[in-house]
Amino acid sequence: MNYENIYRRQKVFLIITIILFISIIIKIFYIEYIDYKKINKLANDLWNRELPITADRGLILDRNGKVLASNITTTSLVVVPKQIKDKKYAAEEISKILNTTYKNIYGHITKNTSIERIHPEGRRLSYEIADKINALNIDGVYLLKEGKRYYPYGNVLSHVLGYVGIDNQGLSGIESMYEKYLKGTDGSIKYLSDGKGQRLNLSESYNEPESGMNVLLTIDLDLQLAIENELDIAMSKYNPENVLILAMNPTSGEILGMASRPSFDSNYYKNYSTETINRNLPIWKTYEPGSTFKIITYAAAIEEKVVNIFEDTYYDSGSIKVSGSTLHCWKHEGHGLQTYLEVIQNSCNPGFVTLGLKLGKEKLMKYIHNFGFGKKTGIDLNGEAKGILFKEEQMKELELATTAFGQGISVTPIQQVKAVSAAINGGNLYTPYIVKGVEDSSTHEFIYENKKHLEKKVISEETSKLVRYALETVVAKGTGHNAYLEGYKIGGKTGTAQKVDNGAYMQGNYILSFIGFLPADDPKLVLYVAIDHPHNVTQYGGTVAAPIAKNIFKSAVSILNIKKSKDVIPKEYTWLDEKYYLVPDVTNQDVKEAKKLLKNFKVKYIGKGNTVIKQTPKANTMTKELGDVVLYLN
Amino acid sequence: MKKEIVIVKLLSTILILFGLLIIYSSSYVWSNYKFNNGYHYVLYQFIFLLISLFISKVVIKIDLNIIKKNINKLLLIGIILLLLVIIPGVGVVRNGSRSWFSIGPLSMQPSEFIKIILIIFTAKYLEKYHYKINKLKDNLFPLIIILGAVILLIMLEPDFGSSMIIILTILSMVFISGLKYRFFSYIGLLGILGITFIIIIAPYRMARIISFINPWKDPLGSGYQIIQSLYAVAPGGLFGHGIFSSIQKYFYLPEPQTDFIFAIFCEEFGFIISVLVILMFIILFYNIYKISAKQSDLFKKFLSFGILSSLVVQTVMNLCVVVGLVPVTGVTLPFFSYGGSSLLISILEISLIINISKS
Repeated sequence: MNYENIYRRQKVFLIITIILFISIIIKIFYIEYIDYKKINKLANDLWNRELPITADRGLILDRNGKVLASNITTTSLVVVPKQIKDKKYAAEEISKILNTTYKNIYGHITKNTSIERIHPEGRRLSYEIADKINALNIDGVYLLKEGKRYYPYGNVLSHVLGYVGIDNQGLSGIESMYEKYLKGTDGSIKYLSDGKGQRLNLSESYNEPESGMNVLLTIDLDLQLAIENELDIAMSKYNPENVLILAMNPTSGEILGMASRPSFDSNYYKNYSTETINRNLPIWKTYEPGSTFKIITYAAAIEEKVVNIFEDTYYDSGSIKVSGSTLHCWKHEGHGLQTYLEVIQNSCNPGFVTLGLKLGKEKLMKYIHNFGFGKKTGIDLNGEAKGILFKEEQMKELELATTAFGQGISVTPIQQVKAVSAAINGGNLYTPYIVKGVEDSSTHEFIYENKKHLEKKVISEETSKLVRYALETVVAKGTGHNAYLEGYKIGGKTGTAQKVDNGAYMQGNYILSFIGFLPADDPKLVLYVAIDHPHNVTQYGGTVAAPIAKNIFKSAVSILNIKKSKDVIPKEYTWLDEKYYLVPDVTNQDVKEAKKLLKNFKVKYIGKGNTVIKQTPKANTMTKELGDVVLYLN
Repeated sequence: MKKEIVIVKLLSTILILFGLLIIYSSSYVWSNYKFNNGYHYVLYQFIFLLISLFISKVVIKIDLNIIKKNINKLLLIGIILLLLVIIPGVGVVRNGSRSWFSIGPLSMQPSEFIKIILIIFTAKYLEKYHYKINKLKDNLFPLIIILGAVILLIMLEPDFGSSMIIILTILSMVFISGLKYRFFSYIGLLGILGITFIIIIAPYRMARIISFINPWKDPLGSGYQIIQSLYAVAPGGLFGHGIFSSIQKYFYLPEPQTDFIFAIFCEEFGFIISVLVILMFIILFYNIYKISAKQSDLFKKFLSFGILSSLVVQTVMNLCVVVGLVPVTGVTLPFFSYGGSSLLISILEISLIINISKS
């Protein structure tokens, strides 16, 4: 009986035991199967350590594959807090080397994180500092290679290229616009760590960083360097407020060179004012174009057949009356009788007024709009301006007249280059572009490629041919003669535009410009030079901007491999080889003072007083050397 | 009974060999770190195994009556050893408990020996008094007092795990002797009071109890061991990382060759093989149970059941800790965990079972 009792109790024990074991098995199943994902992830987070490796940014290359923006390898400090045993010692030593506070470093290395970057003090360390840290030989302190953007040419093309921030992220220019292509994918070294934070050799995976893609520009570095060089010379010679040069292939819209002063070094962009950095003048700056704009009026007039440039003539007396206002020619005494070919050679303002009036505002404005003024050119860069035109409905005869010779409107350099390119390339208006394409950095296959984009046909081939010829004569025989290059057909037009401030023209403050192209019969290059308020020089585009353009043309013929032409229009030695000077304003001045200021002229007096009450010609007109200046005295 | 003996011998051998393998794998990193020799623990365990097998030869053949006659003396010796071990300078402290005698390179845990002595003592006691065990005052309380004295000494080390095993083992022996169920509800109540008392005198145990419910509340403190154990078990998945491929043994799980050895086993071998091992334990225990059930000699019946009970309690408690079913208590897994005394006692117990089943 007792045995049975004991046996029953033993059975109860057995059943309880089996129930307990089954619960254990169920719990194991639960952990290893149902909770597997969750706990396995947590465990992997515990085991895995990842040391980041930053990807190299893609290169920015010129049209011939020359590197404009590259990468250099620097070293960055990364700590694995769990691996640092003596945190106080480590913080003390590292803070000494990095020249920062103990508290700062101690904060980093006691952070409850698996990997901590010492930012920003530990970024981009020099070799000596990296060496010093290495010499400490502290477990858990790592020096990782980190790519840093480097612009080998410093200031060159900096407005276009832009710059990158501390994390190698594009902040402006091409760097920012093409960030998603350039930045690449960061890699890492993944390893398993043991409970003491040491690396396990069990498995280690190297996640190779993927370099960003290369961005190819349409820029020709050699031409760009020639341009930058000329800008530097102009800056030191004339000390202008700013100066800009733009070079484009007129048959495609590819920008070959683009630069301006003041500029900055992309490597050290922080040392410059935001104005300097952000203003890419060739696309940003808007101003009254002056005489370079006459090309558009001229092209429109020929296309509309309102003028025969060889046969029609115009007599310039030095001024023209429009709606009661007198518009002066830049040459005080006038150009006399000229054909319309001579009108453009002489850059005769009243001549262009007549062309504008012949066209009428609807037609002139139609062409101005068709040539792309008044709106962005669509170049693939940020920061482009639109400029301002007269509103057609508000335009009177006077506005029409000034627009015809490039006054009273405001345009950008890129608009002028785009428009003039169309005027001389057979009438095709192309959208300017600066990015040739994006290529894979290892296979060099194009991810995408920009092609030339024809917006519209604005004038006929015949008209364009006449414009080319006329502009060639401007350089050979007219105001553009300072851009004449022996053996080459060069077309061009000068511009001298008075700057406007608060709705009034500023005295003695001009933007001098020249737009030119070569070869004039088959243009490969359009070049625009504008210099804002140069000092110590005659304020005339043909004197200042044209020689700069000539120097660049000189370089360009070898860079772009442009052959000499045979039937070049010979240079004519005209009155323009005589020196012309700007007449200063001497009214209300003492006679002796006035005489000093007018040392380049022959001074005649009317009246006997000591103070000048009136002068002829008026101030700020051009008069040849030793020409007459009459002073009326009180 | 021949079949049962064969199965018991076979399964305990397999489990011990598995144990050696997993001790080698799980201890290698720590062993290298502490002794500059990755084989240190497995070598010692192997030496313990040889000693245990030698003792086993004697125990299998010994006349149980001699032990039975001298059990009171053995109990006295055991109690003296327990008294000695808590004296600072005599006993050696490990993991916060003064539970070890150190003799040269070997060390011994008297609480392991008092466990088997107490089982034999209780078997003898119950043989004599089982039919009148429900007369509590005369027949049960003397046993309880001796048990209480032993537990008190062990708790002074303190060794909570061993105490629990001994209490539950002796209680289960009393249970099958026919003590009324009502008594066990009293015991349960007493147990709760006892545990409360223990927690009050050592508050760190409270943290342990809370931590097993939600170990992530204090992942670096009281929840640490359970979390680390789960981080070993879970990634094992159904098929395991493969032998020697545990990651948790790399300083995540403290002393992975002892209490948490089964976690490393799960990590390396996965769910399926882990369950197979658990099934081996169950089959082994079932066969011991069958041997015990077939005994007509009450002393042998109680003794073999006591042994079964101690093995079951220890195994279940260890596994429950590893999988997070109960708070961390510090109990080794029989046959698997590293530890000379634990292995010796396990083998001794199996030897006694063989001895019992032969006669």
